[in-house]
Amino acid sequence: MSRPFPYTYISCPCADTPVLDPARKRRSRESPQKPPPERDTEANEGQDDAKQPANKDDEEDEEDEEQTFDPRSPRSNFSLYPPEQLLYCEDCHQIKCPRCITEEIVSWYCPNCLFETPSSMVRSDGGRCGRNCFNCPVCTAPLAVSTIENVTGNGNGQGPWVLSCGYCLWTTLDIGIKFDKPTNIRSQLQKMTDSTTGPAFDARSRQGSRAFGDLKSPLSNFASVDEQANPSERDAEQSTSKEDQTPTPHLGAEARFAALKNFYRTQISETSNSPSDSLGSEFGFSSPGALNRLMSLYASSSRLSGLYGGTKKPKSKPPVMREALTATEGLRIASGDADSALVERIASPDCGWDGVASLIQRTEQSPDVRFVDELLPLPVLLRTKRAKRCKSCKHILVKPETKPQSTRFRIRLIALSYIPLPTLRPLAQPSATSVSGLAPTPDLNALTPLRPYHVLLTLKNHMFDPVRITLATPSVTPGIVATKVTVLCPQFEIGANSDVWDEALQNATAPLSDRITGMRGGEKVPEAGKVWEKGRNWTTVVLEVVPGTLPGSQAEDGQEGDSDIAATFQKDEDVLEIPVFVHMEWDAEAQLEQQNVGKASKPDDLVARELAYWMVLGVGRIQASL
Amino acid sequence: MATLKPPPAQHRSSSSSHTPTGPPKAPLKADPSATIADTAVFQGTYPVTIGAGTVIHPRARFYAYEGPISVGDGCIISEKAIIGAAPGTSASTRPSPSSSTGPSPTSSSTDVTLSTPQIQGSGQETITRISYFVTIGPHSTVLPGANIHSSATIESLVTINRYADVGAHSKICSGCQIPANGSVPEWTVVWGSGIGQRRKRARTAREPAPAVVVAAQVAQIPVPPPAPEGKIIENARLMVLQKEREVLGRMIVPAGASKKK
Repeated sequence: MSRPFPYTYISCPCADTPVLDPARKRRSRESPQKPPPERDTEANEGQDDAKQPANKDDEEDEEDEEQTFDPRSPRSNFSLYPPEQLLYCEDCHQIKCPRCITEEIVSWYCPNCLFETPSSMVRSDGGRCGRNCFNCPVCTAPLAVSTIENVTGNGNGQGPWVLSCGYCLWTTLDIGIKFDKPTNIRSQLQKMTDSTTGPAFDARSRQGSRAFGDLKSPLSNFASVDEQANPSERDAEQSTSKEDQTPTPHLGAEARFAALKNFYRTQISETSNSPSDSLGSEFGFSSPGALNRLMSLYASSSRLSGLYGGTKKPKSKPPVMREALTATEGLRIASGDADSALVERIASPDCGWDGVASLIQRTEQSPDVRFVDELLPLPVLLRTKRAKRCKSCKHILVKPETKPQSTRFRIRLIALSYIPLPTLRPLAQPSATSVSGLAPTPDLNALTPLRPYHVLLTLKNHMFDPVRITLATPSVTPGIVATKVTVLCPQFEIGANSDVWDEALQNATAPLSDRITGMRGGEKVPEAGKVWEKGRNWTTVVLEVVPGTLPGSQAEDGQEGDSDIAATFQKDEDVLEIPVFVHMEWDAEAQLEQQNVGKASKPDDLVARELAYWMVLGVGRIQASL
Repeated sequence: MATLKPPPAQHRSSSSSHTPTGPPKAPLKADPSATIADTAVFQGTYPVTIGAGTVIHPRARFYAYEGPISVGDGCIISEKAIIGAAPGTSASTRPSPSSSTGPSPTSSSTDVTLSTPQIQGSGQETITRISYFVTIGPHSTVLPGANIHSSATIESLVTINRYADVGAHSKICSGCQIPANGSVPEWTVVWGSGIGQRRKRARTAREPAPAVVVAAQVAQIPVPPPAPEGKIIENARLMVLQKEREVLGRMIVPAGASKKK
């Protein structure tokens, strides 16, 4: 795994007990029309993952409860998280990993100017900052608004303004654009480039009469496929007739898209004859009605009906939608010499390779852009703050402050305030403590096989109640490399996370000196059944680990052939990971009575709580040779 | 210090004789108005010329073993920049730009091989030329034979390999490399990483982007008047640079940073 040794991971129990989410079941029964958000797909994977073991559990019911968590199984990758990434639901009393929560967007904001965008504006702004924040279209560095009044000799504060990139020295002068005001650059740029807004609409309404004439052209009412037999001829006619007309307006990309969208909307409403046909509704093509319509189209077509045994009566032919035919409808016919002009320009010496926009640059731009000097500055993409909810009980687990400037959280139920934080530390080799007081700690990246190591596992409690812990490990780790593991003290207690001063005041002298001597001497020997060390809210126990031999070294004994080993021995098989089952018990104050009774609670108010989970201790990497 | 040594040099250095035990001090000919830090290093056998108003920051190093180094007026050589190549760093074969990081050899120059035919530079010495108003960033390396034209900007951690030519008003962005014998045209930005991507800067007034033209056509309004020439941006930059240099000179000289001669 990616973390340096030693590390600890906690397994979210959602892998074994699938989260019951009624909403998701409903969703899964529907045909998934909309592409589900990312979170959901991930969650669905999790669901699938979770379902399999659930099924398996049903089959081999009792045995599975005894089954130990295998950190090497491919599935466990999805449930293991570093402790600090986990959340905890107070209602379900369960650890929650990123797979068993849902997210919802609290606010949208621009990471550059830290201004919040109201969610109603996000769509119209295209998910980008509507103010002055831009990224360089060439190198994506943020652009600065700077004046050029000094050099152009204008008066104070009214010189033309440009956007300039501090990295690649791109400025809007490279595309021949300057701004009159230093504010609202986005709308200024929009006005300059967007052909759909403002005067553009006027322009279209001015041509409106002609456009409607086009719409009502004889071609607009095709009744069937057969009538469309030779559309190319008609197209030719149409185009030749159009040549005589006024030069067709050259629409910009946005305007063309708007025109096409408009056109198809009217087409749908015109051709859908049945009231049940939901194509004309706002759901449009993504609704199940679209599929119905397509299927009926195919089913009624003569060829297919012959295939399926030929239903005798051909139904009335459904009306056929025509395609956009004029420029006002959004059609653009590529002129034949456009490509050669492009090629010529690319080949010309003042363009060359450097003048052609790269693919990365073009993905963010309008599809027509081919050259570097056509690139427009990009408004900064907005970011979101998200609240997280438990998937099963819908309780909010994390809720950030809405303000983008604030990094605080209103609610944040992180798991570490409920479960003890495990930390791992190798104990200095007892054999090496000869003369020098400092015993060398073993190299965790090269553990010697068959040699006992002692590892200190510290559990630190962050709750205000003392916790009783029971640890359990398989005596031999799963996987090819069988490592023997013994928890020397599997049952112990961790103190409450009380006031820091309590410890200092209560046991001021004795334990401290004890600890110092214990640390200094190194003569402290791990004993079975005894806690190694204990503090105010933490306890350390010793694990004895005897790393197993790798299959490669076993082959020297002549047990197995090398080829077999190579096949079975996978990458990172030599990493020593110990699954540990943690069972914790504590007496929590009942939450409802808490306010009435206060701190002086009777024993009746205490509720026994327990929590159990698997964690994985990554101890080190086992050396190949003895 | 090993990490500060220049990359293993390329081409030849047979001319630069055997290294003496103590590094020879290069004859320095600096304009009186230049500001040169005490800890700047000048080594080699060939002269180093420094123009008026140039600022050499501390621990910049000049290795004039293979030929004279000339720095024009009004340049800024930042700290730990390396101009030239330390002796014994010559490579036997043609250079490859990727091999620019490597441990610097010791002072033994016995591995000097036959001089390969020169593409540029006269037979014996290799002139490294840095023209007027050039800025060279911290930790950058300009290898012998490079020619950097006026008003160019070399950012930090750049390697200009041998006999490369950087045009006027160009910028080499941080971390980029110019291959040996490579040339960067004037008014060009090299950005990205490694050899990088190139971009031509606007020098004259450009006509508005097609999107603007189309929008104007659709809206039936006149196309906006042409924007000012791109040159003015560069003028503004140079003005700022000039001011910065003046202020720096005023700050440093009273503080007692004497000129090194």
